[in-house]
Amino acid sequence: MASTRLNVPGLDGRCAGASRAAATLALGGADLASLAGGSPVASEFPLPAVQDLDRFENNVQELVKPEHGTTTLGFIFRDGVIIAVDSRASQGSYVSSQTVKKVIEINPYLVGTMAGGAADCAFWQRNLGMQCRMFELKNKKRITVCAASKMLANTMYSYKGMGLSMGSMIGGWDPSGPAIYYVDSDGQRTKGTIFSVGSGSLYAYGVLDQGYKWDMDVDTAVELGQRAIYHAQFRDAVSGGTCSVYHITKDGWTKIRGNNHYDMHYQYYPGGHPTAANDVI
Amino acid sequence: MSWSPYDLNGGTCIAIGGEGYCIVAASTRLSTGFSILTADKSMILPVNSKCLIASAGFDGDRSQLHKVLTFRSENYEHFHKKPMSCPAMAQMLGNTLYYKRFFPYYTFNLCAGLDDQGLGCVYTYDAIGSHERVGYSCQGSGKDLVQPVLDNQLKAPSILELPPKVAVTSLSKDEAIETVKIAFSAASERDIYTGDAVEIFVMTPEHGVQKEILPLRRD
Amino acid sequence: MASSGCLVSEQKPNGFDFDLCKRNAWLEKQGLQTLKPWSTGTTICGVVYKDGVVLGADTRSTAGETVADKNCEKIHYMAPNIYCCGAGTAADTENVTGMISSQLELHRFRTNRESRVVTSLTLLKSHLFRYQGYISAALVLGGVDCKGPHLFTVFPHGSTDALPFCTMGSGSLNAMAVYESGYKEDMSKAEAMELTKRAIRAGIFNDLGSGSNVDLCVITSEGAEYLRNVDMPNPRTFTAVPKPFARGTTPVLKSKELRVPSLESRVTIESQEGDVATAMDTT
Repeated sequence: MASTRLNVPGLDGRCAGASRAAATLALGGADLASLAGGSPVASEFPLPAVQDLDRFENNVQELVKPEHGTTTLGFIFRDGVIIAVDSRASQGSYVSSQTVKKVIEINPYLVGTMAGGAADCAFWQRNLGMQCRMFELKNKKRITVCAASKMLANTMYSYKGMGLSMGSMIGGWDPSGPAIYYVDSDGQRTKGTIFSVGSGSLYAYGVLDQGYKWDMDVDTAVELGQRAIYHAQFRDAVSGGTCSVYHITKDGWTKIRGNNHYDMHYQYYPGGHPTAANDVI
Repeated sequence: MSWSPYDLNGGTCIAIGGEGYCIVAASTRLSTGFSILTADKSMILPVNSKCLIASAGFDGDRSQLHKVLTFRSENYEHFHKKPMSCPAMAQMLGNTLYYKRFFPYYTFNLCAGLDDQGLGCVYTYDAIGSHERVGYSCQGSGKDLVQPVLDNQLKAPSILELPPKVAVTSLSKDEAIETVKIAFSAASERDIYTGDAVEIFVMTPEHGVQKEILPLRRD
Repeated sequence: MASSGCLVSEQKPNGFDFDLCKRNAWLEKQGLQTLKPWSTGTTICGVVYKDGVVLGADTRSTAGETVADKNCEKIHYMAPNIYCCGAGTAADTENVTGMISSQLELHRFRTNRESRVVTSLTLLKSHLFRYQGYISAALVLGGVDCKGPHLFTVFPHGSTDALPFCTMGSGSLNAMAVYESGYKEDMSKAEAMELTKRAIRAGIFNDLGSGSNVDLCVITSEGAEYLRNVDMPNPRTFTAVPKPFARGTTPVLKSKELRVPSLESRVTIESQEGDVATAMDTT
C-alpha cells in the first residue's frame, strides 16, 4: 500500500515537482540534496513503514486532532471581491483558538481562505505564495487568480488520497477584473461569484443569497459579508470568535472589518436576540 | 490491539508573553500508563538565546524533534552569525512539523521568546504544524484544567480586531509567574500526569533566561 | 416460529441475563463513548500481625486521568469486627460491601452472635461469582472473630485467597514489594502499622492511580480502630489568592428593577388565587 502511494502518477508531475522544490526552499534550504535532483516525495514527507497506510493515517487523525471548523465566504461584485471569515478553531469539541487568522495573504492582490485542516491550508497557501512569486520573477508580470488557483489545485491533486483536508477560496484582482475560485483537497477547482465554505457555510449562504446584488456599493457588500458570518457564528457551534472582512480592488486587498462576535451581537440586537427569552420575568 | 509507534508521556506546559518578558514553564514528570518513568525530565528546549520551545506529548518524538531543531538553529547561527529570531524559529518549527504531515511528531508544542521590540511572543501549535501567535497558551495533559484559568486571568485582546490592539497580557512579570505557579499547583491536584516539579524559565531583555524550579505534589 | 399461530407465553430463562453487557461491548466496538466510571485506581493492602489485622488504603479516586476525589474512603465497614478495602469501580466496591454488610447485620440480629470473617467472605464471593466479573470489585477483607484474625483477598470473578499479607489495585505491586521485603511473622501493632503505611506510600508515590493520604484500620479482638488520614504526605506546594477582578470587569448590559412584595402584601396575595398565578409566573 505504502509503495503504491509513491507511484501516484500525479506525484511526479512537473507542477507538483516544482511546488515541492519550492517547499524545500521554505525549509531554509536545509534539505539541499532534494533540490539538486527531483527526489521522491518520501524523502520530504516521510511515510511510516506500515502495511495499511490508510488505517495509520486515520488513527493519527484521531490521535493528533488537527484543528478544524470554520465559516468562510467570498463573493465578487461590481466593486471588487469581498472575503469574510470567522476565527474559531476546534479540535473535536474543544475550542482550541478564537483568534485564528483564516485569510491567508498570498500577495498584495491575492488572498486565500482557510477551511478544513489548519496546517494543510496554512502550509500549502504559503507555498502557493512562493510559487506565485517565482512566477512573477520568471514572467515579469503578476499571476492571474486563474493561474494561482490552478497551481494550488494541482498541488492538492498531487497529494490526492493522502488525507489532506482543505476547502479554500482564492480571491483576487487581475487584469480581467475581480475573480474568485474554490479549490479543495480533492483537487476540485471552480470559478464562481459566491462561495461559502466550512461547517457554517449553509447559514452564511442563507444570508448571502437573500442580500446579494451585483450592483451593491462597497459598504453594503462589506456589511453583507459581516452579517453572513455573524449569523453563521451564531448558529454554528464550531464557528465563532471575530469576523474579519477583506475587500479586494484593483489596488489590492485591504482589511475593512475585524469585529468581535460579542460586539456584533449587541450591535445587531441591542435588546438581546429575539429567540432568547430575555424579557420575561 | 495493533502496535503503535506512539505513546503518551503526559506533562503540561504553559507559556505567557508580556511586555518585556516571556515565561515558559513545564512539569518534569515523565510517565506511561499508570507508572512514572522519571520525576525529573525537562521538556523545555532553550534553542538559542532568544527562544524556548516546550513540547508535551510523546517523549521519543520530542527528543528527535529537539535534536532536529537544535541542529537547524545552530546551522543558522553559523551561516548568519546571529541567533534565529523567535518569529523565524516559530515558522521553522511549523515547517519541521508539517514535513512530517503523514507520520507526525506526536508532540504538542509551544514556542516562546522575545520579538524585536522586546515584546513577549508565544506561538502555539497542533501536532502537524498549524501555528498561531497568541498572548499565552498551554499544552499537554493538564491543558483542559489550565487553559480556562489562563483565559480567566489574562485574557488579551484578539490580534484580528480593528482598530488593532496590543495582543499581550497586561499582567506584570511577577503576577504572571504567580499565575503560572497557581495553575501548575492546581493542575497537579487533579491531573495525574502533572506533578513532581515544574521548571519555570523567565526571559527578559535585561537578564536573559533565568530558571526557577517549584516542587509539586509527588503522588 | 411466529407463523405457528399459537400464543406462547414469553418465559424468561432462569438466572441472569447478560445481553446488555454483550450489547454494550458491541456498541463500544462500534465507537460508542461510554461514561467514565469513577474508579479507585488504588493501592489497598492488609497484613496479619500478632493480635489482629491491619488494613491500609490510599485516598485517591480517578476518572480516567483526572482525579475525581482527593480524599475518598476506601476502607469500608462490614461489621464491628470486620472491614473491607475496595479497589475497582468505586460504585461497585461501595455497594457490594454495603449490601453484604447489611446482610451480616441481619444475620447478627437473627443469631445474636458476632459475625465471622468467613461468613462475609462467602457472601462476597458468591455474589461476585454470580455476576461473572461484571461487578468490578477487588477486595481485601480483614477482621477478627472467635477463631482469631483473618485476612482474605477477593477477586472480581469471585475467587479468593487467605493470606498473611496481601495487596490489591493498580498499586498492588508497589505495596507488595514493601510487604515482601518487610514482612515478619508475629509483628507488633506498631510494626504492622508502620509496614502498612510504607506499603501504601509506595503505591501513592509510584502508582499514578493512587495518591493523596493514607488510611489505616487496625482490628483486634478488642474491636476496630479506623485511623483516617494517618499520613498526609502530599501538602500543597504553592498557594496564592489570585488578584480580585476590578468592579465593572463584566459589563452591565441592561438592568431591571423588580419590586419584591413585602411579607404582609404577600400574605394577602396568596389569599387571592388569580394574583398568585401572576406573582409566581417566572417562566
